[in-house]
Parts: sequence; C-alpha cells; structure tokens
Amino acid sequence: MISPPRLDAVPKVTGKARYAVDVRRRGMLYSALVRSERAHAMLGIIDTSRALRLEGVVAVVTGDDLSPLFPRYGHIIPDHPILALGKVRYMGEPVALVLAEDRYAASDGAELVEVSYQDLPAVMDPEQALAEGAPLLHAQDYGVGDRSFEEAHSEPRSDNVCHRVELSWGNVDQALARADLIVETCTDYPMLYGYAMEPYNALADFEDGYLKVITTAQHPFMVRDDLARVFSLPLSHVRVTSPYVGGGYGTKSYTKVEPLAAVGAWYTGRAVKVEFDATGAMLTTRADSARVTIRSGFDSGGRLLARDVSLTLDTGAYADNGPLVLSKASNRSFGPYRNQNVRVRGRAVYTNTVPSSSYRGFGAPQVSLASELNMDQAAQQLGIDPAQLRRRNLIPPGERHYPGKRPMDADLAADLDLLLEGLGWEAPCQEGQGIGFGVTASDAGAYPVSTAAVKILPDGSVLVSTGSSEMGQGSRTALALIASRELGVPLEQVAIAQSDTHATPYERTSGASRTTTLTGLAIQRACAELLSRLEMAAAEVKGGPLTEIKAAEGMVVGPWGDVSFGEVVRGWFGGNLGELAATGVVRRVGELQELPPFWEIGVSGVKVSIDPDTGQVSLLRLVTVADVGHAIHPEMLKGQDVGAATQGLGAAFFEELVYDGPQLVNPNLVEYRVPRAKDMPPEIVTIVAERGDGVGPYGAKGGGEGTLNPIGGAAAAAVGRAVGRWPDRLPLTPERVWRMLRGEEN
Amino acid sequence: MIGADVVEIAPVINDREVFLSVPVRMTLAEMLRDRLDLFGVKLSCEMQVCGVCTVLVDGQPVSSCTYLAADADGRRVSTIEGLAEGEQLHPLQQAFVDHFALQCGFCTPGFIMMAKHLLDRSPDPTRDEVVEYLDGNLCRCTGYAPIVDAVLDAAGRLRAEP
Amino acid sequence: MGVLPAFRLLRPRSVSEAVGWLNYDRLAYAGGTELLLAMREGLLRPTHLVDLKGIEGLGSVEESSGEVTIGALVTHTQAADHPIVGARLPGLAGVLQRVGNPRVRATGTLAGNLCFAEPRSDVAAALIAQEGEVEIASPQGRRRMAVRDFVVGPYSTALEPGELLTRIHVPIRPDVRFVYVKHQTAERPALGVALSVNSHVSVVVGAVGLSPQAFEVGSLSALDVAEVAARVEVVPDLTGSEEYKRHLVEVYLRRAIGRLERGE
Repeated sequence: MISPPRLDAVPKVTGKARYAVDVRRRGMLYSALVRSERAHAMLGIIDTSRALRLEGVVAVVTGDDLSPLFPRYGHIIPDHPILALGKVRYMGEPVALVLAEDRYAASDGAELVEVSYQDLPAVMDPEQALAEGAPLLHAQDYGVGDRSFEEAHSEPRSDNVCHRVELSWGNVDQALARADLIVETCTDYPMLYGYAMEPYNALADFEDGYLKVITTAQHPFMVRDDLARVFSLPLSHVRVTSPYVGGGYGTKSYTKVEPLAAVGAWYTGRAVKVEFDATGAMLTTRADSARVTIRSGFDSGGRLLARDVSLTLDTGAYADNGPLVLSKASNRSFGPYRNQNVRVRGRAVYTNTVPSSSYRGFGAPQVSLASELNMDQAAQQLGIDPAQLRRRNLIPPGERHYPGKRPMDADLAADLDLLLEGLGWEAPCQEGQGIGFGVTASDAGAYPVSTAAVKILPDGSVLVSTGSSEMGQGSRTALALIASRELGVPLEQVAIAQSDTHATPYERTSGASRTTTLTGLAIQRACAELLSRLEMAAAEVKGGPLTEIKAAEGMVVGPWGDVSFGEVVRGWFGGNLGELAATGVVRRVGELQELPPFWEIGVSGVKVSIDPDTGQVSLLRLVTVADVGHAIHPEMLKGQDVGAATQGLGAAFFEELVYDGPQLVNPNLVEYRVPRAKDMPPEIVTIVAERGDGVGPYGAKGGGEGTLNPIGGAAAAAVGRAVGRWPDRLPLTPERVWRMLRGEEN
Repeated sequence: MIGADVVEIAPVINDREVFLSVPVRMTLAEMLRDRLDLFGVKLSCEMQVCGVCTVLVDGQPVSSCTYLAADADGRRVSTIEGLAEGEQLHPLQQAFVDHFALQCGFCTPGFIMMAKHLLDRSPDPTRDEVVEYLDGNLCRCTGYAPIVDAVLDAAGRLRAEP
Repeated sequence: MGVLPAFRLLRPRSVSEAVGWLNYDRLAYAGGTELLLAMREGLLRPTHLVDLKGIEGLGSVEESSGEVTIGALVTHTQAADHPIVGARLPGLAGVLQRVGNPRVRATGTLAGNLCFAEPRSDVAAALIAQEGEVEIASPQGRRRMAVRDFVVGPYSTALEPGELLTRIHVPIRPDVRFVYVKHQTAERPALGVALSVNSHVSVVVGAVGLSPQAFEVGSLSALDVAEVAARVEVVPDLTGSEEYKRHLVEVYLRRAIGRLERGE
C-alpha cells in the first residue's frame, strides 16, 4: 500500500488544527484548583470567604456543594470524588474549584482559599498499604460501574487491595517439581507519567437542557456515561465532543477533568473552562508501578513447563482504570509461549499517591520486563541461545496458549527472525555493547463494540461518521482510506466526522489498538450496506433486476450502463437533494465472539553501548517489527511503532516519578525527564510483516503499542549483556548501570 | 503605588501591527491565545522545556509561556500562523507533511518555528546540528527521526529556492 | 495552566533610576527565564519587577584594557555569537552555546544567570574559572568583586537589596588554556568541571554542590583528581547519589585534563 498524506497534516502544520484547549465560549468562566496539601487527611473547614471577596471571583465550589449530585466518577469502581468529600487521599487531590471572570482572578482566588486538615497516617507504597493494621483509604462500598468488565465486584473493603486477579490452569506446583531448571526473576517497573503534551482540559456548559462538554478525551462515550450519572441525566442529554486530541497514549482514556468543568457550569449556570498545565496533569493520573516475580520451570532442552507469576501494582488513591490494568497485566504476564501450567496472582493496591490509570501497553510493559528477562536468564543458565529458547516455546499460529481465548493469529517465530536480522544478533558485539530483544502478545482490541455511519451525498462525495478520536494515531486518515477503498471513491472526496456523542455513532473507546481493526470493520460493513442501498436505489430509478445491478468502484453498473453514486442519490431523491446512509455495527458475535479480537504482537529490540566510566547508555540501533496482518497506511504504522518504542525507552532509561514521603518530588518536565531528540539511535529499522491474519479489514489487526511492550525488557537485556549482570529494575539510569558495572546488587 | 499593572503595547504580529492594553502579568502566550486567537501557540510544560509555545521575537526563538506580553512592545512576533503564504505552505511545513513528521500535532508549531530559526541562521545544517538544536523541543509521538528528516529536507528545498 | 502572580512593572531609563527602585520586594528583571518561572512556582513574590531593558549601555559587549565587558542585558546567544567573545574568550563562548536550550539562550542573560545562582548552572563555574568579576551599582556608587565571591550559596549572592549587577568583566588571558566539560542527562547539568591552566591551575566544580567550588593547584601534574573528588561538597538528587557524583567529579576531571593535554 502507498501512504497518502495524513488528512490532518495541513491543519496541524499551519496551527489551524483545533484542540479542546483552544475552544472558548463568550462569557465563559476560568477556573483554578485548590489542591490537597496532605497525602491522607480528614478535611476540616474550607474557608472560601476571602477568595469570594476578590474582584472577578464568581464562585468557589467544594465537595459539600455536590450533595444534590452523584458526586463521584469511575467507570469500574465509582470511588473518585469530583472534589474531595470530607477526606483527601493524595497530595494534589482537587479540594475546591475557584471560578472567575479571568484566569488571573481564578488563580489569585485559589491562593486565598484556606483549608484545614486533620492528618491521617498515609501509606505511600504497596508494602505500607498491605502491612498489618495499615490505614484504609477506602472503607466504603461504591458499587460497580462498567458491567462489561466482568471481574468487577462490590463489597465493603477490609484492606487496601483495590482489585485482585487469580488466574491458573494446569498444575504449576507439580510441573515446577519436575523441572530441570527453575529460574526466578523479580523486577520493579517504575511509576510513570504518560506525558501527553496537551494537558487535561475541558469546557462545559448547560445549554438547551443538555450538558455539553468539549474535552481532550480518547473515549467521549465513556465520559458521557460518567457525566450522565453525576447529574442524573439521560445519556441522550449529555454531549461530549473531542476535537483533535493532543496526545493520548491511554492517559486520556476514561473520565478525568470533565466532571470538574461540568460541576462548575452546573453551580454557576455559565460555561466553565478547566485547563491544567503539565504539573496539574501529573497530579491527575499516572501509570502503575509494578513489582513482578516470575518463577519458570524448564526441562533441560529448554521447554517451558510452568510459570508462576505474582504481581503487585501501585494503583494510587483511586481505582480509575487500575482494575483493568491489573487484569491485562495478568493476562500478559506469562508470555506468548506454549505452556500447560500457569498461575498468576495479582493485586492492585490503593496508596496515598496520584491515581494511576491506563498508559500505552496497559500492564504489558510492566510484566514483560520480568517475563522476557526471565527467558534471557533461563537461556543463559541452560546454555541455549536466547532466540533459540524463545523459538522452542513461542506459540505457533493457530494454537491456543490461553484457554478460552482466541488462538494465536500471528507467526511469532517468523517475526522474531525478522527482528534478529535487523538487530544483527548473529554478529558479535564489541566490548561495552549489547543487544536485547523481546516478544510479547497482548490481548488487545478491548470489547468489540463499534458503530460507524457512511453517507453518499448528492454530489457523490462521502461522509464517514465515527465516535473514535484522532489523537495522532491517524484514525482520521486510516478510516477514510478504508471507506475510500470500499466505495472506490477518491480519498479527496471522503470527509470524516469524529468523536461527538450527539453527532457520531457509538464507539466504545479509542484505545487498545482497536480503531483500525474494529472501527474499520464497522466502516467496511457500513460501506457494504451502502453499496446495496445504492443498488436498490439505482434499480428503482433506472429499472432493471437487482441481480444485474452492481455498485462498486465509485459506479453503479447495470443493464443501462454506468451511473455515478451522486447520480443515483440525485435520481432517487430528485433535484440535488438527499443522501443515502448506512450504518455498520461490530458486536461480540461471529468471528469476534472469541476474545481478544486480536493479539497485539510486540517484537522489538535495541543495541546499546555503555560508557564504562559513567554508566551512561547510548542507543545504537532500534529495530521494530509490526505484525499487523495488513498495513493500511505503512508510514503511519511505522510512526506508531517508533513512537511507541521511544516511549518505552523513556521508561527504560530516564523516566520515574519519585515520591519522598507524601510528596511527589518531580511533578514537572524539568525534573521528570522524557526522551529527547539526542537520545534517539542513529539507526532505526522499522519492519512490517503482512500476513493477512487479522480479523480487521483486509486481514488487518491492531498496532500502535506493540513495540513498546517488550522494549523495557529488551533494553534491560541489552544492558545486562553489555555489563555482564542482569538488571532488576528500570529506569537504567547512569548511576544504576555504573553500580552494575561495579558488581553491586541493584 | 508606583509602577504599572497594565501597559499599552504595539507589537507587530505576523507582519501586522496591533495595539493592545495588557496586564503586566500576562505572558506572550496568553496574549497570543486569549487576545488574538493565535491558537497555533500551544502550552504544555510552561517551564521552557517542551517548546510547544515557541514563537520568534525579532527573529529569536522564545518560550512565550515565560515571556511577558509587555516585552513584545514594538517587537516583531512571528507565529506558525504567519508562515504559509496563503494556501502555499512554507517548505518546512510541506516537509513535515511529506515526512509524516507529526502525529498528534501538538508539538508541531513549536518544532517548525524552532526549525525556522535554525535554517534562517544556518541554511545547510548537518543532521547532528539539527538534532542538537531541536533537543530542547519535546515530541511524545514520533520518536523525532521524521522531524529531523523533515528539517533536513526543508533545508534542501529552501536552498534550492531562487 | 498556571499564571504569574500579580506584580507591577517599573521601567527605569538609567542605572541610577533602577537602583533607586530596587529593594527586597522589587527585583531586577531582564530575560526572566529563571525569575518568571520562580514566580509562577510561587517561590518568589516580588511586588515589582524593575525591567532593565530600557537602560542604555547595558546591552553591549566591549573590549578594553585587557578585559571583555559584558553588559547585564546581554543574552547567552548574543555573547556566544559576539565576535569579541569568540576571539578573546572562545572557551566561554563554547560554554554559552551549550547552556539550556536555544530559547533559554536567546532570552536569558549571563547576569541574570549569575544573580539567580541556580546551583545547577554552567555559567558561574565557567566565569569563576576565568577569574571573572562583576560590577555592582548601588545608590552609594559602584563596586567590583570576583564572581567567586559573588555567588555565596544556592540562589544566594553577595548582592544587597538595592544593588544591581550591571556588567561582567572577564580578563583576556591568551596564555590560559581553558576547558569546560559537563555531565548532563536531564534538563540541567548534574556536574560541570572548568579548568583554567597557565602558571597555576584553577579547578571549578559546578552543579554538583550548592554552589560552584574552586580549587587551586600549582600545575596539572600536581592535580590530584581523587583528592578534589573527595573534598568537593556534593548534594545528592535525582541525577545521582553522593557516591556516584563524587565518582563523576573524578571522571570528568580526568576528561577535562585529557582534553587539555590533547590540545582540544
């Protein structure tokens, strides 16, 4: 396939692309937050009087004002107060919302709000949170949100475990008992901030009896659901719109600041804008840190006999998407290997830290670090080449490695061979250099529910409507390409409307690498339906038996010759009027009955060089393999692969949110260091493997985060080989590598 | 009390002189976005690290998040909105399109304005010079390589222009 | 997004007018790269900013009687690009070309950099090693002092309220060989090492402690890097522990010496 220019490219290079943060309303109020200065405390008096006396301040909203509403949100566990309700659970939690005529008065007003606290003991990490007698963050039963998350349960809490997963098949203990070799790997994956450059923001207004919210959200339909519950509104009365999203990566999955803007609008009767800077965003959500222990048993030939996994995620103060991240982390922890005996025990733990949620990879990067390093360590101990050890165990195409789940829809061994060739694995490395690689398969695609609408207008042009968001991944272009290809209408004639809960059809989410595959399928189905409507309309207008009429490639062909789509529409309605429309639906039936809709394959690796004096790591080469069935837009796909790997390399070498007691030490981009241009390797190799083995259009299946999932483990292995010791944590800062070089324990 | 809390200024924004009364605490980014609807100027880290707010003031790149609007008085301010000639994209803009040097696009105006300054100063940079120069701008989507490719390509196109 | 706290702006036309206004709550303002950030973070709350940019004569780089004089309004970029600095102080020009990012260099001034006394800074260490001096104006007159004495601690200088740093003077010493190397893996350097060598050796270790630290030895061969690394004051932070940073001091001292010996 050739790669036409992105449909959003010109607006984005000219500064004309509008993001949620750019949307204004005449007469809207600006806002500023008063945030908790304590990690865990009962709220005392919130004195807003001085703030209210300040010129320009219109109102100050606190948790007490929310009593007429359902004052919390959370799609799995609705435990998250919009504004603190009697208690704060992390430093930085929103306590009061100051609304003012301009941004300066709002900010000055927020400084005048005085909050008193009665401290409670805080638990700052899972170890403290799980200790005997630890203070409880949540004692209350909040009920259950999203019923499609089947594991969700509701009960009063007696500990700080937010969610538990127990998963097993076979008999792990027996298999380990007869193993020739048992290898145990324990790793720590850092607490991360998935920095999307457009910080969280939303504009809310009650207008015509509807709540209208414009926000930087990946999943506007799920935000709508949370907002409808807050205000007891019918779903139809909440309109959530996402213009261009300035970076998502999972960090803008689910509800974030929309309820704040909405309660501000509800309280004042005016439009309200909530805008955070990056520090505010860092105090809103983060990614789970994880401690993962994997014990694997092998026979002497390198056959994997069993894996026993335990993992603990630091979920922070509120559940957000934590339970689902744990569930996915568990599913992704034992690797894409043939394995009769698996046991996974996972816990997501509440702590008095910024709530964590989904971030690109969704648990996979956290667990792959342990599971792939475990393979490397086993290979070393068995005296088998680590690539060979993987080949011996990788799940072959069509075979099921996870009972009850879809059989493997990829050729992992072939992908691995492509990767190793790109990395130059067979060639010896120089002193101080190392190569690492990894293979993962994630249950991606989320729950398969998508709808899309496609219309032919009287001039023959095409309008595609989808609830999916354009956040840089290129859905606008990829989905338009699918419609263009299905209808045979040139891409220039295809327009696309996206992510508006009033104006576009339902989309579950724009995440889990699902859009091209599942929304693409919905569009394909809508196009098929539309073509048959064109045929019926042509039969009516032009006459002739339906069996002799065929709509395809931009024309309707019948006994009377060729007519354009536009001509059929005009003929059917008369004049220059009307439009023909069709909807395509994707549900969990048929070939999508089995979950996941597809396995997202992650195959990537790096070659590194280490400065022996300082421990500083330089990247020499990055290689990514996209196993996506079919590349609808190869250049955008490669861009996703390199971008995802780069984010993973950030975690591998630089990024870590650090707490010192109750306080986040580095909630800003000066101290939280993300990858930069100079960090990138001089050699980047992007490989695309197309085998048509996905359920999506033309055999496509999802991509976009795969290369991130194994890259942390790959980076650790590369450093490990260069140094001669295996790391057990990320990021591999210069000091950590230096200590490894000196032979110290991590 | 001595000193001004509001000043009258007359900057030249994208070749057009404008007259504004601004609070002295207003940043240039706030003025461009809130007063002049120049939304191509973005805000993110607000600490001069990320570069999304980059504009040129008298030809020099500045972080408009940390630059007082009052200081723009009498100066020439260039933003991404002033780069194209009507429908005709600037070679840098065209190169960003051609190289898929953007995804979410939030960092794009800042990168293009920085690259504009680099190429104004150094029309034939090496790859290392481009990387070094753009190291102070963050992109979270692309992994940077296509951005560097685009800047080098644009440099070639600009040199080839009459 | 965060906004700047309220303040008022004063725009003096002369140094004497400026120093008449400066006090604890009225701070000198030029590029603002550090000051405005600190204000937005709530770390500084001046009632007034005294904008120096309207004062004539503070924006020039000049050479006279064996020294280069850099006015308080000269930005890092202007200094680095200036032909006098390039010809007479090439080592300093090299340091300035690598400060922060191009936007910080284009707006931030050397004088502001010194006055803010951010510990993780390149400029102070380089100027101390080059035996730079600052010229300070006050209602009482003018005084000159060594940069070494000017930077007294983190975010702390010898500047009294009401005083203004107007110029930086750097001696032209063609006989001196100068090198500056730094370890920077994050936004700000974790370590900077400046070496000046002629009849004696001046070593300045910056960024690793609360302020730049100077050591003098007779010759390069007499420079005991391990001893300097052991003596230097080190503040652990996210870029490294005390032990690691001491090690870095040793590594970068060796690197600096190596570069001098190779004539780089």
